[in-house]
This record gives sequence, C-alpha cells and structure tokens, in this order.
Amino acid sequence: MTVPNFGDIVETNFIYSTEQRTKRKFGDSEIQVSGNPAVYHAGDVVNLPYGSGERSTIEAIGLAWAAFASGVLPSGL
Amino acid sequence: MVRRSGNAFGNFGKITGGDDFSVKPIKAEFGGSVPDSLYTVNRESAWSRWRRGYELATACIVDNSFDYSFNYFIPIPAGTPGTGGNPPTIPGVFKGFPTKNKELGMHWAGARIAGSLRFDNVLDSGGTPAAIASVTEDDEFWYVQLAGTWSTSNPLPPPLYVAVPGVPGGIKAINGEILEDRIIDVGGTPITRDTINPANQTRYGYVQAVLVETNPFTGILTLRKRGSVEATPDRILVTPATRPPNVGRYFMTGTRYCCSCQDFTRREYAYLSSLGQRRVAKFPLSRAAYLKPGRYEVMRIAGKVANQAMTNAVTNRQMEIISPAPEYNIPPTVTPNSLTIPGSTRDDPGVFRDFGSVYTRSTSDPSVPGAKAEGLPSFNDYSAAGNVITSLTDTWTPLLDEFRYCKHIYAMKYEEGVFPPEPSDFPVMEEGMAEWEQRLVEQTEKDQEQAATNLLKYGLSYMDVPPYNCQAPMMMPMMQKLFNVPSTFVLMQGFIMYDKNGTAYRPSQGGNPAS
Repeated sequence: MTVPNFGDIVETNFIYSTEQRTKRKFGDSEIQVSGNPAVYHAGDVVNLPYGSGERSTIEAIGLAWAAFASGVLPSGL
Repeated sequence: MVRRSGNAFGNFGKITGGDDFSVKPIKAEFGGSVPDSLYTVNRESAWSRWRRGYELATACIVDNSFDYSFNYFIPIPAGTPGTGGNPPTIPGVFKGFPTKNKELGMHWAGARIAGSLRFDNVLDSGGTPAAIASVTEDDEFWYVQLAGTWSTSNPLPPPLYVAVPGVPGGIKAINGEILEDRIIDVGGTPITRDTINPANQTRYGYVQAVLVETNPFTGILTLRKRGSVEATPDRILVTPATRPPNVGRYFMTGTRYCCSCQDFTRREYAYLSSLGQRRVAKFPLSRAAYLKPGRYEVMRIAGKVANQAMTNAVTNRQMEIISPAPEYNIPPTVTPNSLTIPGSTRDDPGVFRDFGSVYTRSTSDPSVPGAKAEGLPSFNDYSAAGNVITSLTDTWTPLLDEFRYCKHIYAMKYEEGVFPPEPSDFPVMEEGMAEWEQRLVEQTEKDQEQAATNLLKYGLSYMDVPPYNCQAPMMMPMMQKLFNVPSTFVLMQGFIMYDKNGTAYRPSQGGNPAS
C-alpha cells in the first residue's frame, strides 16, 4: 500500500460496479448517465499533518470551539 | 372519526384486531431487546426503519444516486497563524433521498468520514500523545484513561474541553461522538476490520463506542457499552462489544451521520410551494397544548431573518439559537449569537413545527440481559419541578450519535458495508413475518417510484442542492452537528465539491460540476 497523503481517503467501501452503473434508471424511465456517482463515499480519512507547522483537523476544530467561546469569528477563507 | 388503518410507520399492514397500544403476550422464543415491545407501534417503528433503510440502500443502486461529495476547509479563527500547504479539512458526502413527503422532494443526509479527528495528535503539556493508557469498567461504561499528565492547570485540550469563564464544566464539544480504537501508531493509517497484524497473522479488530462524558482534569473518557460495536478477528461486527478498547492504541472518530428528515430532526418544515396537487398543510403549526419549552434557531443575513432554501456560494447566514433562559444557551453564555427569550418553545412558527420529543437510540438500563444494541429508543424532552424547567433534552443536546437513526442513516450504514443489527423483536402478531415484510418492501418500493416521479415532474430546478442550501433553516442545524464545529465556522467558502468524475470544483469561486 502506498503511503497516503494528508486528507486521502484510504478506504472507499462502496463503489458501484460497472454493471450497477449501466443498469441505473430514474423512476420508470431509462436515462443516460455517466461517471461514478459514489467516487468519494464514506471510508476512512488520514487526517494528520505530516509537516512541521501543519495543523490537524482535531486541532482546528478545537481552535474553532475555543474561538467561538471567546466570541472570535473566523477570518474567512 | 374513522380511524386510519396502520400506524404512523406505514400503512403497509394493519395487524388485525389490534390497537397500536394494546398489550399482547410475547410469543417469541427469544427475549427481545425492546423493553416495551408489547406495543405494536414500537416494534413496527424500530423494525421498519431498519428494513426500509435496506430498501433505500438498494434503491440507490438501481436509481440514480444523489451523492454530493465534499471536502470542507475549516475556517481559521481570526488572528490565528496560517498553516501553509495542508489546511485542515473535513471530508464527507451529502446523500439525497428522494421522498414524496417533502416539498422539495429530497431529504438530505450527510456523513462525515471516519478518522476526521484523531487522538494521536492530542498532546499533553509535555508532548505526550493521548494513547489509551488503561481501561476500567462497570456494568454500563468503560472508563478510559488517556496517557499524558492532566490536571486542572493542564486539562485536555480543545475540542475535548474548552474552558469558558463563569461556566462550570465548560464546553465538551465532542461528547456524543463515536470513538474507535483504530490507530495503532502515531501517524499511522487507521486499521479496518480487514487489517491483519503481521506479528501474529490475525486481524487486529477494534472497538467502537459512544463518548458520553469527558473529565478534562484527569484525562478519563467515559464510553457507553450499550450500542458499542466490536470488529472481531473473524471480521464480523458484534454488538455490544465483548471487550474494552485496546490499551496502547489511539482513538479516532467514527463515521458521523446526520439527516434533515422529520424522523431524525423531529421536525416538520414549512410547505410553501403551491405546485402540483399536494394536499398537505402549507403552514406547520403545533397546537398550544403540544408546545414544549425548548430551544430553536433562526437564520439571519445581516441581522434579518433569511429562510430561503439556498443562497449563492459566497453569502453566509448566521445562526442564532433562542433559549428560554440563559442557563440553557448552547453553547453557554458568551456566544456571540445566542439569545434568551423567556418562554420560548421548540417551534419556529412559519418555519417548522417541532414534534416536542427526542428519541435516543436505546435505554441505558437494558431490562433483558444480553439484549442487542439497537432496541427501541428512549424518550426525552424536558423536566420541570414547581413550574420551573430543570433540564432540556432537545436536538441541541450534544449526544448526536445517541439519537435514533432514521431510515436514511440506516441506508448509508448499509452502503458503507456496516450491516446494522436487526431489532430483535419481530413486528408480527397473527400473521406471518414474511407477509408483513413483503408488504413493507412493496410499499417502500412504491414510495420510491412515486418520489422519483415527483422529482421528474417538478424538476431539479426546484430542488435545493448542497452546498448552496447548507445554511437553510433545515440544513444549518444539521451542518453544525455533522461537522461538530460552531455554526459561525460553517461558511459557504469552505466547500470544495467533487463531481461525478471525482473532479474538484469550488462553488465560491464559480466552479461547477462537469456536465
């Protein structure tokens, strides 16, 4: 297994098979669809910072709650 | 008045000669997990949500699946230094379930992917990561001591504990999360139930349980045994878990689910469209006798109430939680957007009516030894003494994963490969289980076809879609609970979406999915 990067989903356990995708229909009408509707479904995420100074998600959520309790607003994105 | 056949959990089969609340003897060979399973309506609701969830999961394979994958960049508090190339994110997916019961034809469920929060980056003042150091237990809970040195002067860091001046207990933001001991080494990839330990060539296995209390000064986490799940070396999931979390490992959060449907939110939102021939009430309201004290929230743009389904991708709304008294503000007291209105109820007239009740997934005191986890929910709302409210238990009480799952969440769990445990009490009386189940399946299939037809008839242009609807009155409470960040940190600009081909686009920068 290759080493996952920050934020990579390491297990996606619900990928439609080709047969399932080709047989999709919408109500009673056959429709034309393309692509995979579940390319990013629930699995596991590797959410650790790998470089110094980077911030993990649990740390960021902690900062958000601490800021919220102090009345500090987000700085925007 | 002519009594409607069936009960509120579907007209798929009125059991003859019975009253929803009539008492019948238990004829099953095995004892049930449902303490009050004598009631027909309770058995049917528990079992039908579980069974219909499976039908929805399979319907998502046959029909088009309304998956909206996203990665949410957590906004940084003002004044915080940036972190360079890897900003912290929350990945997840919105999943739309067509329904014939809702104005816009779609219930939106959401999942936050497992592993978003990891304890191998929770450090004490000396830099020791918070591994599982030891576990003690009693009949109901595991008490997990985290490694590190914790005290009143060095408490557990946010989000496990946020000290708030003047508020005893502070904020314990992740109480109610599912924790799983799936991280073996600091920085390691989470194990799955398939992962094999190279030292002995058997699967590691892991334990999943809900965090119900945090002691920030001793570093002890209280995990509930009831509802826990164990992945065994045989790769099966059993519940409740037969052993405690493994010492030496690190916790991470499990997949977190939320839904906007009536069953999960315990609310009915306004029906304002006059399209079609629908005959449901347009203006949800509760009779005065049904009103219960509680909290509700309003959405505002620049101070003005904004209840539209969608905004553009750069307009943010603020959520304000109205409480009946300051001690019931969520989060406590110092939040910039909490307001006290004495006598406030759970209803927001014109926007939604609240069913005035919260169902948690199971009781804490199982009456049957060895009962399975997914029994009937227990009921909570509020308590009072001497005409004074003494506690509120509503959807703002942070026990998310203790809330009763709706069929949409069951469907997502099926899709994830987790076959949720079947309620142990069969909803069967005089007739056969197979017939009852078959009618339920047929009814669910019929409902799905009707919902799909409605969606085609009214068109997707009337549908509210993520992320543009993420701050709608129906969605914003769900978003805060799903992400578990304060609502002021749920910003439209934070969403990166993924289209059907897996290509990322950022709506706030004008991005669109591929056609």
